[in-house]
Parts: sequence; structure tokens; C-alpha cells
Amino acid sequence: MGRVRYSCCNGMNDQTWIQQALALFRKDILAETRTRVAFGAMGVFSFASLLLIALAMVGLKGVLIQNSSGQAVPAWNNSGKMSLLWVLLCFAAFAGLSHSFVYEEETGTASTLKLHMGPQAVYAGKLLFNTTVLLAVSLVITPMYMVMTGMDAGTLPMFFAVMLSGTASLSAVATVVAALAARARSTGALFGAVGLPMLTVLLVLIMNAARQCYIRSESAVQYLRPLTGIVCFGVLIVTLSAMLFHYIWED
Amino acid sequence: MTVPPICLDVRGVGHRFGARLLYRDISFSVGNGDVLAVTGHNGSGKSTLLKIIAGLLQPTEGSVELAMNGEVTPPSRRSNFIGYVSPEMALYQELTAVENIRFFGALRGQTFEKIDLREMLAHVGLKGRGSDRVGDYSSGMKQRLKYLIAIMHNPELLLLDEPGANLDVHGTRIVEQIIHERREAGFLTILATNEPEEELWAGCVIPVATV
Repeated sequence: MGRVRYSCCNGMNDQTWIQQALALFRKDILAETRTRVAFGAMGVFSFASLLLIALAMVGLKGVLIQNSSGQAVPAWNNSGKMSLLWVLLCFAAFAGLSHSFVYEEETGTASTLKLHMGPQAVYAGKLLFNTTVLLAVSLVITPMYMVMTGMDAGTLPMFFAVMLSGTASLSAVATVVAALAARARSTGALFGAVGLPMLTVLLVLIMNAARQCYIRSESAVQYLRPLTGIVCFGVLIVTLSAMLFHYIWED
Repeated sequence: MTVPPICLDVRGVGHRFGARLLYRDISFSVGNGDVLAVTGHNGSGKSTLLKIIAGLLQPTEGSVELAMNGEVTPPSRRSNFIGYVSPEMALYQELTAVENIRFFGALRGQTFEKIDLREMLAHVGLKGRGSDRVGDYSSGMKQRLKYLIAIMHNPELLLLDEPGANLDVHGTRIVEQIIHERREAGFLTILATNEPEEELWAGCVIPVATV
């Protein structure tokens, strides 16, 4: 056996939390490519939902309903389709992203992480990973959904802005709820109970912004106002989560 | 090589889980080159004491201070100076040994060349197994890898919970050698054990018992 080389009194540099968060993100991506647990859970849920929506839609095609001003409009319009897409993405996020923290707790690696990095870095790394996964799933699911339902993107820049800000805010909500649920060791029930109030507010904001994709407006303010709501909500959730995360993470 | 003056001061530490008092008023002070064994029956709180020293758990009574060069390290930075081997601290099963080493090294700002990794793995008897997934390792091999990761940043304080767990005779000799070399180098080591042979590795013994 070779001798241990104690070359210096401490072979370690003080890593910033950003560097640690990036290292955790890279590790999570590498682990996900091996296990595919998050992608698998979200993929199965999304494809099953897509199939159900496609089947349910058959009876709605061509059906007209009267709007508030008495005009006949399609029952299955773009705003409705967009709303359903977000419901699908929300449930997919909650199905897949809980894994990020639950896995660390169940396998005993949470204690190892606690020794090696601070709560701020853990939260940032997990948030980055969850956002990346959810964006990737959205990139696959959204075009498929649009093809299957014939959903129009409407005003493209607004559509992309809603998708991006909505996905990021959704992952912020799912990340903190996943951390709470993992620590409480009652994953399913708590995930729903704590997540629902935050998710309801977020969904209302997203629906509000999504409607704007299909309303032609000359004023940029008309587009920016609902977007600002989603972004502010996301920033609020991230800020509060970062401030309170150590109470969740540490014993 | 010089090791800075290290002083671990445990003062009046007590801990309770809910209404159940585990122990109270544990006090000791250890420093450079010391090897301390914490002993006690199952459930006496040896592992809990190690977690408290590592800063992973807040004691309900008392305090723990780790001073380096006479300066007390803030609790949030204490883990920078600590290596910890415990059955409760797992490694990533789906990653290879090398990927685990690189990840935990990256968290501490360490990077490794391939030749360093080979040498490090050989040191704990895992030569040629670096690219195997940890999930495919035996429990003894995982324990050896935990040792490697715990000592690769030359921690001033090494905490060993059940140091010989799952290890064969060769593995146990490696641990004994690590403890011996750390003592010679002036580092501090604390182990929690029930094994009489492992107690012999220590210069002093602190028995803990539930109240």
C-alpha cells in the first residue's frame, strides 16, 4: 500500500456557492443520463396525457359555443388548448421533479452533500437542473401537442416568452416543494398540498399571459404586463426559497 | 510540511431527540496528532456526537468549536476542514468511482489528473476499478472509496463512524495505516466504535452513555 501524501495542510480552496452549484448541476445531468428517472417520469406522464387529450378532443372538433357577446366561437380554441398544455406541463413537472431531492434523501447522499456544500449551493444546483429538465421536456412536448391539437402559437415572441418564463417559474415552485416533500418523507401528499396554492397562482398568471398570445395589440405594454406577473412571481418564489432553504435542508 | 495548530473544543454538549434525552455534559478538548475513540453501546449517541462535531446537527446543549491557528472556524466553514466516513453518508451509485471523486473534489475546488486518480485508487486498494459504477461495488469497496473521498483534501479533522465497517483484513490495515500516518503528520482523528481492536488505534477514549 502506498503512503498517503499530505502535501499541504489543506488541499482545498474555498469554492464559491456558484461553482458548487454548477458542479452539482453537472453531476445531476450525468446521473440523469444514466438513470433517466426524471425524464422517464415526465415523459411517460406527458405522452399518456397527450394521448388522452387527443382522444378527448375528437368529440370537440367543429363544436361551436356562444361567447359573452353572443358570437359563435369554436369550443376548442387556442386559449383553451394553451391552458390544457400548461396543466399538462404542471403535472409533468410535479411528477418528475420531485425526484431531485427525494433521491438524495432516499439514497443517503443528502448527508454527504450537507457536509460538502452549503444549502444555498444545493438549492441553486437543483433549481438549475430542474429548470433544464423542464425546459427540455417542454421543448419536446409543446411541438407534439401543437401538431396533435392544431394549436396556433399566436404572436410568436409572446408565445416563446410565456413558455420560457412559465417553465422557469414552474420549476422554481416544483423545486422548493420537492425539497419540502423530501424532508417530510411524505412525498406525494405534501407535494400536492404545499404545491397547489403556489401552482394555482402561477397557472392563473400563465393563463392570463397565454391569452395575450392570441390578441393582436399594437402596444408592447399589453404583452409585457402579464409577462411581468409571471417573472415577478418566479423571482419571488426563488428569493423566498433561497432565504428559507437552509431551514428545509438542515436538520 | 507543517500542520496548523488545531484545537477541537467540545463543551457541555448534550442532545435530545424530542422528549428523549440522549446524553448531556460531554466535554473534551483535543488537538494536533490526537486520535480519540468515542465508545458506547448501540444507541448511546456516538454517531450523533460525530454529526454534532461535523456541524451536521445542532446540539441541544453546549457548544463545539474547531480552532485553526488559534482562530475559531465559523460553523458554516467547519466542514471545509473535516473528512467524514460514516455508514449514513452514501456515494452516488450510478456514477463511477472516478466520477464520484471528481464531483466531491470539485465541490472543494480540487481537480485531479488521471495519474493522481490511479494512485489514489491504488492507495485504498481499488486499483483498476475507477471506471466501475459504485452501485456495482461490494460494501467493502464502497467503504474504501468513502475513505479516499474523506481524506483526499487532507482534512485537519477526520471523523470515522464505525471505521472498520464492511472492511476485510486488508481494508482494516489500510484504515489503521491512514490513522497512523495522520497521527504522525499532526492531524486530528476521532472515531466512533464498539470494536475493542479499533479502540486500540486511539490514544484516548471517551465513553458516552444515555442518561
